This record gives sequence, structure tokens and C-alpha cells, in this order.
Amino acid sequence: MKERNNGAVLDAREIRKRFTEGKQTVDVLHGVDLSLHRGEIVALEGPSGSGKTTLLSILGCILTPTSGDITIEGDLVDIARPASLPAVRKRSIGFVFQQFNLFPALTALENVEYALNIKGIKGREATEEATRVLDDVGLGERASFLPRDLSGGQKQRVAIARALAGRSPILLADEPTANLDSQMGRQILDLFRDLAVKEDRALLIVTHDPKVRAICDRVIEIQDGRLAA
Amino acid sequence: MPDLALKTLVHDKLRFFITVSGVAFAVTLGFVQVGLFMGLMDNATVTIRKMDADIWVTSRNTPNIDFAHAFPESYVQRVRAVPGVADADNLIVWFMNMNLPSGAQEGVEVYALEDFSKWNIPWNVSEGNLDDLRRGNFVFLDDSGIRRFGPFQLGEYREILGRKLRIIGRTQEAESFTTTPMVFMDYELAQALNPDELQNRTTYMVVRLLPGADMDAVKAEIAHLLPYNDIYTRDAWAAQSKRYWVESTGLGLNMYLTVFLGCLVGIVVVAQTLYSSTMEHLREFGTVKAIGGSNADIYSILIKQASIAAVVGFILGAAMAYAMRPAIASINLKLIITPELAVAVFIGSIVMCLASALVSFRKVASIDPALVFRG
Ligand SMILES: Nc1ncnc2c1ncn2[C@@H]1O[C@H](COP(=O)(O)OP(=O)(O)OP(=O)(O)O)[C@@H](O)[C@H]1O
Ligand SMILES: [Mg+2]
Repeated sequence: MKERNNGAVLDAREIRKRFTEGKQTVDVLHGVDLSLHRGEIVALEGPSGSGKTTLLSILGCILTPTSGDITIEGDLVDIARPASLPAVRKRSIGFVFQQFNLFPALTALENVEYALNIKGIKGREATEEATRVLDDVGLGERASFLPRDLSGGQKQRVAIARALAGRSPILLADEPTANLDSQMGRQILDLFRDLAVKEDRALLIVTHDPKVRAICDRVIEIQDGRLAA
Repeated sequence: MPDLALKTLVHDKLRFFITVSGVAFAVTLGFVQVGLFMGLMDNATVTIRKMDADIWVTSRNTPNIDFAHAFPESYVQRVRAVPGVADADNLIVWFMNMNLPSGAQEGVEVYALEDFSKWNIPWNVSEGNLDDLRRGNFVFLDDSGIRRFGPFQLGEYREILGRKLRIIGRTQEAESFTTTPMVFMDYELAQALNPDELQNRTTYMVVRLLPGADMDAVKAEIAHLLPYNDIYTRDAWAAQSKRYWVESTGLGLNMYLTVFLGCLVGIVVVAQTLYSSTMEHLREFGTVKAIGGSNADIYSILIKQASIAAVVGFILGAAMAYAMRPAIASINLKLIITPELAVAVFIGSIVMCLASALVSFRKVASIDPALVFRG
């Protein structure tokens, strides 16, 4: 069986993270255990500076932990070899950021297509997949718009489409609604959840936003570098 | 497939324009500098290349066609007797002074032959009949002299070394390396104008071979007969004349230096704009990394952008150099752009742009994709 750990698509054990800045060291995570399953929506909450983004980056293989084990789709991530991480991100992870991080020179469709190209899906297949996810997030009509011609909510939908494209099993979102007004935030969350569930993805949302809690299956809190139940 | 490199490059039109201008500047400079150099070199050897002669006999150690010394004209008899020689004639090339109607004096470079038509010199006659030169105190003037001497008409007189000579013909393109205009006159007239140095003497002998004659054998035989002269094939003599100017005047060095400086300025401009563009797009490069792109993916973006800038800049720069040709011609300079030069400049601009992109490589390699989470 490929996915160990009770079918968890992502499993993190004893994650510790220490930042060293000159002589100063900051211990941000003191041994975090966390697993995500397909079809599951999890909210990660905690005070500002508690290490939410740090944990999300580690789970998403953007940052390496100081120690600990991460298993993604059954494979142990080789954290000692940072060069191996892009391949894991490519294969398994879709990100949604607070700042959207769209490519300003590319249209909505091209933004999604480009991410697919990076993931190794090219040509017609990429265009079809990009069109599909843009339709799913309700932006089929705006496919040829540049980001500057889209509203904040529309931009975040493009970003969600980009994360969904290519069927990465793990979706990680860092405060996806923080730059949106509350009604738009709610719409986006509902959409995101529906699509994640429909396509059997695992979705972890870092948030301050109490609305998020309402749509999640599970809420985990981080405090002083540890998860509180 | 969306072309992130191209679209990002042209998304910021002003920066794209600056980048391309930097390349275009270097390209134009390269074309103009090298083209002018080649134009001058072309002048330096134009008569050698146009003259219908296979072999040139010069006095010993003549450095280039413009700096001739005299030797006895009777040598030509010996050369004419060499097997394989179809034709041999004396040619005088000599600087003389011409009095202008204004009272001023200007130098001219006199080419004197007994039979001009036979040797295809001058090669571009717009007025007059070359055979008339044999009949007296006559000259053909080249239009390149207008700038120095003022306009002239056929039938007017000019005084050269104290003798009044009638202008009976007009030529084009007959301009020496020193930009001294050429004057064509009869061989004996040239000797008569300067008897002290040219009486019974010539400065060159031009030789035409019979079809199928063995060049090396003829050369060797002439060298044997004229031990105090130098013998050149046409190409060797042209190369010798060029080499003299390149080496003795520092002209070659000057050209290379200017081209080098042009490239340096180009690299600085292109590297600077590409680098600042990279700095401005750090978040996007971070995003490429976050979604799984490698450094190589980003390098390929930079390489592509640099190549696009190189190609567009090259086209623009080449067009500017081309557009400058009339202006350059109007000051009596020649800009020669050969296909080889165009290819060399094109490769140069690609190399220049890729070198500029390298400056940004280190920066993008160090981009931490975690920046995508920051505000
Ligand atoms: N690259 C870094 N170098 C040094 N310290 C860092 C670095 N990244 C984060 N930190 C520190 O780690 C701690 C946790 O930061 P993190 O961004 O994970 O918090 P957060 O929970 O996401 O906060 P917020 O809710 O404000 O986004 C902070 O004290 C921060 O200063
Ligand atoms: Mg954060």
C-alpha cells in the first residue's frame, strides 16, 4: 500500500524549526505532529508569529525543518537534500497565497497553463486542464484577462485554479482570504472547499479568520510552537 | 504554451525599450566602426583590386601603394620578355600639388599610365574619353575631390606642379586611403611634371599573365631578372597595403578599442536592465520555484529574454547603421557592411546579452521561494 499512516497523504512527525540569524536563534516549532488525509479540510490557527506560515512552508517542502520527518504520498521527503524538494512540490503540492502571486504578464488562463507546464503537462493537455479548472472556479469568461484587469476575488480564484490544476493531492493555503472582503472571502472559501472535496484533495488552510473554521472538518491550533488540540 | 519569458519582457515596455536600445547601441557602433574601417581598407586597396593586373612589381620595401619610390622604367622590357606574361606596363603613382582657383594648394594622387583602358583604370568614368589623355596636358579628376577642390567642369584648367592642365574627364570612387582624390594623366606627362624624380623612372609595373600561365613560375622569373624589386600577386599586394595602414597607424587597434568599448557599454546597459528587471520580478521567480520550477527553469527564462533582446536589438541596430549610410557617404566616408560582418555582429550581440544574463543567474539561484508567503 502506497500511502502509509492510515492513508494520510501527508504525514509530519516531530517537526522542529530553528531560525538562526547571526548569533540569535529562534525556535519556532518544537516538535509538531500533523497528518492530512484526502478529502479533508483542516484549518490551522494561531496567534501572529506562532509559526503557522513556517509550518505550512515546511509541509509544502519550501522550507526544510531543522529536524523531523515528512512523508508525502507515502514517500519520505529527503530533507537533507534540498535539491530534491522542487520535484516533490511539482508532483504533490498546490499552493494558494495571501498575495495571489500571479504572473502579471500572463492572462488568467496562461497563469494556470504555465504552472501546468512547470509540472510537466504541456500543450493541448495543459490548455484543456487550465480551461477546466478556470471554469470550475467560475472564471471561464475571464480566461483571457490579465491579473491587473481582475478584482481581488477573481485573482484569488485564478490562484486557486492554479493550485487545483494538475491534480496535486495536497493543497496548502496561507491566509487565502486575508486580502478579500468578508463576503468575497466566504464565497472563495466555499468554492475552494467544494472543489477540494469533490476532487478528493487534502486542504490545509492557515488563517486568522473565524469564517474559515466554519467550513473545515478539523481545526488545529498552534501555540508556542506546538499544536494544541 | 504561455511564454513567460517573452511576455514578461514586453510587459514592461519602457524597460524592454531600454534593454533593446542598449543592444542596438552596441550593434550600431560595431557596424559603423568596423564598416568604416572596412571602407577605409577598401579605399586603401581599391586600385589594386580594380586594376586588371595579376602581378605588381614594386621597388624594394614599398610599404603600400600610396608610398611609392621610383625605379628605372626600362625594367619593363625584361618583364615583357618573361614567358607567360601577356602584358606589362609601367604605372606611376605619385603625390603632387594642385593649385586651386582660390590660390590654395591641395594634394592629389596622380595615377599615370600610357594606356588606361587596357588596365581598367579608372574603372568608373562618368564623363570624358580615356584615350584623349594621351594627347597632351590633360587630366581626369575624381568627384571625391569636390569637397576639397570645389566643383569643377570639363574644360576648366587646374595647375599641377606649375603646369596648366585641362580637365577632360570625370571619375567616381577613385579615392585613396588618405582620402586624397585621384587624378589620372598620361604617363609621360607625369614624368615631365616631376623630372627630378621621375625622368625615365616608374614607381610600379603591372603585369598580366597569359591564360594558363604558372603564376609562381612567372613571379620567380621576374624576381630573378629584377633582384632589387619586390614582386607581389594582386592579393598579396592588397594585403600588404592594408596591413601597413592597420599596423602603422594604430587604426586597427583604434577600431578594436571602440568596438570593445561599445560592447562594454552594451553589456553594462543590458546587464543592468536585465538585473533590475530580475530584481523586480523576484516574487514571480519565487513563485516559479514554489510551484516546483527549478533554477534551470528560471535560467532558461533569463536566457530567452536576453536572446530576444539580442535579436531585436540587433535588428534595430543594423537598421540604424544602414540608415546612417547616406549621412556617412555625404562626408565622403564609406561604410561597408558585408554578410560576414553582419553575422559576426549578430553573434557578438547574442554573446553580449547572454553574458549580461549571467550576472542575474547568481541572484535567481539564491531566491528563497519562501518569499512568496511574505507580504
Ligand atoms: N526566515 C526567517 N528567519 C528568521 N526568523 C523567521 C523567519 N521566518 C519566520 N521567522 C520567525 O518565525 C516566527 C514565526 O513566523 P511565521 O511567519 O511562521 O508566523 P505566522 O504564524 O505565520 O504569523 P502571521 O500570522 O503573522 O503570518 C516569527 O517569530 C518570525 O519572526
Ligand atoms: Mg503567516
